[in-house]
Amino acid sequence: MTSLSCPFCGVRELAEFAFHKTLPNAGDDPLSAVYLRINQVDDSHEYWQHVRGCRAWLKARRNPSTGEVLEMNLLGAVTS
Amino acid sequence: MPLARRHYSALALLRARWAGSRYWRPLWTGRTLKDHYDVVIVGAGGHGLATAYHLARDHGIKRIAILEKRLVGYGNVGRNTTIVRSNYLLPENHYFYEDALRRWGTLSRDLNYNVMYSPRGVVDLAVSEDEIPAMARRGNALRLAGIDAELLDVAALERAYPQLAPRRVRRFPLAGALVQARGGTVRHDAVAWGYARAASALGVDIIEDCEVTGVRSHADVAEGVETTRGYVRAERILFATAGHTGMIGTMLGVPLPIETHLLQAMVSEPIKPFLDTVMVSVFPGHGETYLSQSDRGGLVMGGHLDGFPSYTREGTWDRMQDVVAGAVDLFPQLAGVKIVRQWAGTNDMTMDGSPIIDRCRYDNVFLNAGWCYGGFKTIPASGAACATLVATGTAPDLIKGYALSRFATGHLLDEPGYGPFPVRL
Repeated sequence: MTSLSCPFCGVRELAEFAFHKTLPNAGDDPLSAVYLRINQVDDSHEYWQHVRGCRAWLKARRNPSTGEVLEMNLLGAVTS
Repeated sequence: MPLARRHYSALALLRARWAGSRYWRPLWTGRTLKDHYDVVIVGAGGHGLATAYHLARDHGIKRIAILEKRLVGYGNVGRNTTIVRSNYLLPENHYFYEDALRRWGTLSRDLNYNVMYSPRGVVDLAVSEDEIPAMARRGNALRLAGIDAELLDVAALERAYPQLAPRRVRRFPLAGALVQARGGTVRHDAVAWGYARAASALGVDIIEDCEVTGVRSHADVAEGVETTRGYVRAERILFATAGHTGMIGTMLGVPLPIETHLLQAMVSEPIKPFLDTVMVSVFPGHGETYLSQSDRGGLVMGGHLDGFPSYTREGTWDRMQDVVAGAVDLFPQLAGVKIVRQWAGTNDMTMDGSPIIDRCRYDNVFLNAGWCYGGFKTIPASGAACATLVATGTAPDLIKGYALSRFATGHLLDEPGYGPFPVRL
């Protein structure tokens, strides 16, 4: 993985982006929300920020075994 | 029957001289998988092998199997930068890591296998005056615990490591260092091979190319594991699967406070000896570089995590550049040296940066995981403590802090000190 595509800016170098965290495990209790993570070998839901670009917060779906980006959306955007 | 192993000694070398090359035996022997074991260990890495060795040697457990998806030592035990040290700030960590460092000193004798422990010192460099108080605090905490640490100013740094030329004008001027003289390096592959040889000699079955795909249970007791070579009954099961612990959590139906990240390492072409210690430098907002020179002459280098979850075992170009730029900033004379190999390992990063050695889901299923980027240096201590937990059911004091429940109760061991995130760059 050498680049990511920002919905505003298009394809940019990976160095412009910062990974924040994977989405917490489903559950309303503080332990789940803060510490526990979903670990799937081929499907990772993540928060990123285009921190050295437009600074938009992004929600990504990636395959961590191949680096392939399955979805990249603005955080809060309605997705189908 | 497996052939008797040869004891390694000067006399054995002499005997082999006359007996010819057929004198030496394979380090460990392939065994067939039986259908029932007292303990099944998943993962033939450093922690799995060391735990098996201590279970057999210290606790007299006879029927032990290590099931390995790929090959002995294929994972992080053969992918790290071989550094050992115990200069951790938190008491729960530094007593445990110190136990490991003491064991490294005698491990070659214990295993009858030369793991090439080289106490060449680990030098944590400070690149601003502001880092010195934090280093002094860490050093003082260590000295109070009876662990060696020495704070050097620039003049002392210059005397000790002239090749560093600490007063030279550089992008990140050096302000001092915290040194642990007993830290150093250990030949990483030898650790895997030495433990595998010793465990095999004690009767442990090491089964390679055997992936565990599930756990069978009845009435909330785990009864055995499903593998690609069939079902194996087990009284107790230990998972020591490093970067794939998250998958184990999914398999057991227990979400874990773990994300899997990549840490990469690289080796330069061999050059003449110029660095007789391990240098570590964190460049604020820029990256981190640690480097040492192997006996073959190559510079072994590493840095920060790549920064996002991945199982690819391929490092990113950006991080490689950071590491190399940091090395050249410390030693400008390295600018023309070529990198000849680069690789990455998958790290099971916990949400407080400290490991987990505890039961998981079932009373007879154990987890040895969450080593973040510090697993290699703890192998001897982890093996001994984890074996006690698995054999007796009670965690020894040394690892009481590494319980999984700490994330629920708030008794975190936040060594990096930046909250519930594996990476903060």
